Amino acid sequence: MSFFKTLKNGATVTASSYKLILVIWISMLVLTLAAGYPLKAFMNSIFGKSMITERLNDGFDIALAGEIGKPFGALVTSVTAGTVLVGTAGFILMVFFAGGLFRRFTLAEGRLKVSEFLKASATSFMPFLWITLLMMLIIAGYTLLVIGVPALVMVLVSGSKMPSGNGIYIFYVIWALGMPLWLFVADASRRWMAATGSRQVFRAIGAAFRALRERFWLNYGIVFAVVVLNLLLVLAILWFAAFATPDKGIMVFLFFIATQALVVVRLMMKAWRYAVVCEAVQQQRGEAIP
Amino acid sequence: MRKIPWVIMCLLPFIASGQIVIDKPLSPRLTGYDMNVTLDPDAHTVSGQMTAWWVNHSSMPVGEAMMHMYLNAFCSNKTTFAKGRWSAAGDDGWGWVKINSIFDGSGNDLIDSMGFVSPDDGNEHDKTVLRLALPSPVAPGDTLVLVIDFTSKLPSPIQRTGYEGDFHFVAQWFPKFGVYETAGMRQREADGWNCHQFHPNSEFYANHSVYNVSVTLPSEYVTGSGGMLIEETDLGEGMKRVIWRAEDIVDFAWTAWPGYKVLTDRWKGVDITFLTSEPALKKADSQFQAVKYALEYLEERVGPYPWPHLTFVDPPMSGTGAGGMEYTTLFTSMGGGMVPSFMKMPEMVTIHEFGHAYFMGILASNEFEEPWLDEGINSYWEQRIVDHYYGKGYGLLKLPFIRLSDTDQGRMTYITSPSRGIATNDLPSWMYPHGTYSMMSYSKAATWLHTLKGIIGTETMDNVFREYYRRWAFRHPSGKDFIAVVNDVVRSEHGDRFGEDMNWFFDQVLYGSGICDYRVSGITSNKIRSYSGVVDGDSVTYTRSDRRSDTLYISRVSIERLGDVKLPVEILIGFDNGEEVLEQWDGKELYRDFEYTGARKPVWAKIDPDNRIDMDVNRINNSWTYEPDRTAARRMMNKFILLMQMMISIFTI
Repeated sequence: MSFFKTLKNGATVTASSYKLILVIWISMLVLTLAAGYPLKAFMNSIFGKSMITERLNDGFDIALAGEIGKPFGALVTSVTAGTVLVGTAGFILMVFFAGGLFRRFTLAEGRLKVSEFLKASATSFMPFLWITLLMMLIIAGYTLLVIGVPALVMVLVSGSKMPSGNGIYIFYVIWALGMPLWLFVADASRRWMAATGSRQVFRAIGAAFRALRERFWLNYGIVFAVVVLNLLLVLAILWFAAFATPDKGIMVFLFFIATQALVVVRLMMKAWRYAVVCEAVQQQRGEAIP
Repeated sequence: MRKIPWVIMCLLPFIASGQIVIDKPLSPRLTGYDMNVTLDPDAHTVSGQMTAWWVNHSSMPVGEAMMHMYLNAFCSNKTTFAKGRWSAAGDDGWGWVKINSIFDGSGNDLIDSMGFVSPDDGNEHDKTVLRLALPSPVAPGDTLVLVIDFTSKLPSPIQRTGYEGDFHFVAQWFPKFGVYETAGMRQREADGWNCHQFHPNSEFYANHSVYNVSVTLPSEYVTGSGGMLIEETDLGEGMKRVIWRAEDIVDFAWTAWPGYKVLTDRWKGVDITFLTSEPALKKADSQFQAVKYALEYLEERVGPYPWPHLTFVDPPMSGTGAGGMEYTTLFTSMGGGMVPSFMKMPEMVTIHEFGHAYFMGILASNEFEEPWLDEGINSYWEQRIVDHYYGKGYGLLKLPFIRLSDTDQGRMTYITSPSRGIATNDLPSWMYPHGTYSMMSYSKAATWLHTLKGIIGTETMDNVFREYYRRWAFRHPSGKDFIAVVNDVVRSEHGDRFGEDMNWFFDQVLYGSGICDYRVSGITSNKIRSYSGVVDGDSVTYTRSDRRSDTLYISRVSIERLGDVKLPVEILIGFDNGEEVLEQWDGKELYRDFEYTGARKPVWAKIDPDNRIDMDVNRINNSWTYEPDRTAARRMMNKFILLMQMMISIFTI
């Protein structure tokens, strides 16, 4: 199975699952709107009929926080709490839908109806939650080992309070190069669970490591490529969000449409990673992907 | 007893006041210090001999001398400085200055004439002010010479002065004369010493002096100081001697650290030396540029920088406690290696600390008693410089989605403080209650100086400072002296446009504690209906055309004063036909209604449309419109939602 063919097949199966991804997007949008609307309402309430909002046209002027005074502190507290709550809910939501997506990508007989997608998501939720938490723990440990320890050694050797010089960047690069391995293991273990129906987390991770080893460079290469493309997309989206300052009603609406379209693309790109890992492992096993 | 060649002592003032750095004396040079000391980097001590002299410029004999012993602020945790806020890092961390021997120019031993006093708070544990009873009074015009053998132990952790490892910042380190003020000087009623204790929130007040400083230290140490380098000699055996001379500066500090990188640059006739650390080297160009900006701006708008040398230091991470401090021709910046280029924090600190060369260095106000006169004025100029060179509206922080100007940053500190009205702005530095020293002395004072500029105009404001410099350079001005300059310049340029003088302004913002807040309370427009009613028992009716173009309105724009501070304000009113009218109001009454009759209707109003009244603590209520622009809130909501979505998608593997 060639590198490009794996990517292509993964893209094809992802594209054919667009309805499921739209379900994920709508769920995520509703969730985030729950935090976004109060922010808008707060701003409208604070500024009332003032014309000071002119000062927001070139980005947020921090001086406005001073004008708002005490309520701004309350806003920051609410937004922070809201972000944590919505972030946690979003995390659970994404773990939930991952179950449905992996089921879709390992299913021999083809497409899933939305109801089947939701059922598959619900069935896999708990083991997927455990596997996600476990992998995040492993990645945290890996980060500590590859970046934290060298930074600490550099601080101790140099006697300064922060690691100085460009040496630390080497460890950032090593960290980034290692990340696709962990992502492959996370995805392949979930694929194993979805394909076998097993709920044994550690067996799934073991199977994923075995799969990784079998065709290491192909497996590493495809995840690396998809991760890089995802990263570029995320940077492009953030760049767009930072620089775009629509100042007319219709332009703000179009901005909203554009950003949400980008979010859908981002979700598809992430699903693509799941799909290519499923495709790669199934080809190793001689299984057919729908 | 130590034999003093008193003939040499008598000649010392003349020797010390010779010209090496500057062509002719800039100040009266009433004090001077000639020091020969050794740094022991292991014990963190500086010890040696000092010959200090003071000229009695008053018309009365003076029977005592007062000296600052600043380092004793670090000798225990019960000093006025340390109480509750500073403690030594272990037994080696305490700091002190000890006089081992002291003689006058005639060879009299004065060691038993010394005593510590605490004029500000009576704290018996505070030994930062030394009173010296002289065996015979110093006659008017005579010079008191003191020969002192002293040892200074630097404190740790560093609080402006001290050491951390092999980094040494040696400031406030030697016995130093207070300022002898004569009657009339700074509105003083009688002659006397002005010598305050070392407080947590106070800085300094001193005469312009001449310094000849010789330091012996290990050869590997790289040094810098507020003086001009005269000589650096290798003494062999791993030691060297560095000799500096400084003229007409109010304080002398120096630093030694083996890790310093030294860079030099030049601006007009000024040699600029920058001592920094390896990680901060990347910021060197922008730091030099910041100094040059400040030199250029202040020279153009205030007066010339008179010294041919300037040294500044960006301490290493271990020495950040020494950062952000000024010693006239030496100052310290901070954070150069850690801050990304879109934030101009290090440049802001550099510009601020350099500015003190003017406001306290040249214009040597009493920062103990009138901190606003130094920190407030200096913050005002720092904000103007930062926003002028780095961008109006985003001088301090510039990103595509967020920004902050330095002026707004200062103003924000004042307007958001819950204690902004707790005290007047003229208190001595240690008297500000509830931790308001910084907010009051820096931020509030700078904010009302910007407001003054908004009222009298930028050109007049600059002329005020040119005149302030012309009258008071190398002297000791008070707040009243500054106000007198403002009154004279404003009167000469604007006559009585702002009243007989500007005292009404200072009475409110400096000597008062009120806040300034004006608001547009609303706009109403009512159609003038056909006139109907009863006149002398007869019913009369006036009818009008119903054509819209002929419809008349009576409209009212209502303005209110919510704070105690009364300032003249402008109100810009926009009408539905596109016309704009600029109204003036002296701001004295509690409210003012502007009424208009005609076919046009006011649709929006803005108080202080050019944002000249920075003292106004709430600008949200300064404007009112029938059609508020909600797009910014919608756009921010959209961006917030997008960021949340991206965050969720990134952090879920």
